[in-house]
Amino acid sequence: MKPARALAVIALAACGIALACSTPAPDARFVETVPDRSTFPAVADLLVHRCGTLDCHGSTARNMRLYGSIGLRLAPGDHPVSKGQTTAAEYDEDFASVVGLEPEVMSAVVASGGASPDRLTLIRKARGTEHHKGGALWSEGDPQDLCITSWLSGHTDEAGCVSATRSSF
Amino acid sequence: MKPSTAALIGLIALACDPVHDEAVAALPGEAPGVPRGPTHRPGQPCLLCHAGQFSVAGTVFVDANDLAPAVGADVKLTDSQSHTFDATTNEAGNFFVRTGEFSPVYPMKVAVAYGGVTVKMTADVGRDGACASCHFDPPGPASPGHVYVPPDGVTP
Repeated sequence: MKPARALAVIALAACGIALACSTPAPDARFVETVPDRSTFPAVADLLVHRCGTLDCHGSTARNMRLYGSIGLRLAPGDHPVSKGQTTAAEYDEDFASVVGLEPEVMSAVVASGGASPDRLTLIRKARGTEHHKGGALWSEGDPQDLCITSWLSGHTDEAGCVSATRSSF
Repeated sequence: MKPSTAALIGLIALACDPVHDEAVAALPGEAPGVPRGPTHRPGQPCLLCHAGQFSVAGTVFVDANDLAPAVGADVKLTDSQSHTFDATTNEAGNFFVRTGEFSPVYPMKVAVAYGGVTVKMTADVGRDGACASCHFDPPGPASPGHVYVPPDGVTP
């Protein structure tokens, strides 16, 4: 191999190694665009009722962990299905669980006003269009589906969510 | 790979599930003098060993603070397709539903009647037919405690 060609190969290899070993800047941060927290309790009540039983997402062993008055409790002294409401701290944890599943996709959906919400695994699993151990919970356009998609669009139908929770099995 | 080889590998994998083995090993075990059968291991998660054989199974006790069995309690199961099944607890408080009798399409509602009092479970069962998977002692953030029917029909 001619020296010039060999030099070019070495330079190319060095560039390749440098790119392969590059890491994000230590101070780089992704800032997620999240749906409305203030209207989330209406959505969370539906999620806890339908998804958050102790044998499903109310289990500490499962992802998208949900806390709520009828399921897993956050405070050590609280018990499931005991009297009382889901606490503000539990709603905070539920919110973090849901928006933390796919931060980049969630940001894109929220930024687009809730367009194509089925980009989110949360939506696809609930609709049963993606494998879900708990099966299909509802279909696109059902009151329960509309509750969540309205929240993602920035116009939470709180009354609809309450109704959807009551009418859910 | 031949189908027979794949099936063999699958069987070996199922037979060597360390998570399942550890869960079974962690159970309290058999009580002295109680033979293996319908009255053994009350309050334990039946389907851990009886999955496939039973679809729903558990134990009903008389009180929140008493592990005496609720004998003859009626356990009414209603699945999401409105299919229903009634089971009755035996002398150990145990009940079990064979998969051939009833395999619920979850979620499932549960009501238990005992001593003239009927209590409906507040939450639905999402996917696990073993009562004790969620109803274990002591009560805490992840468990309401064992299944019982309070005399006044009101749970705390």
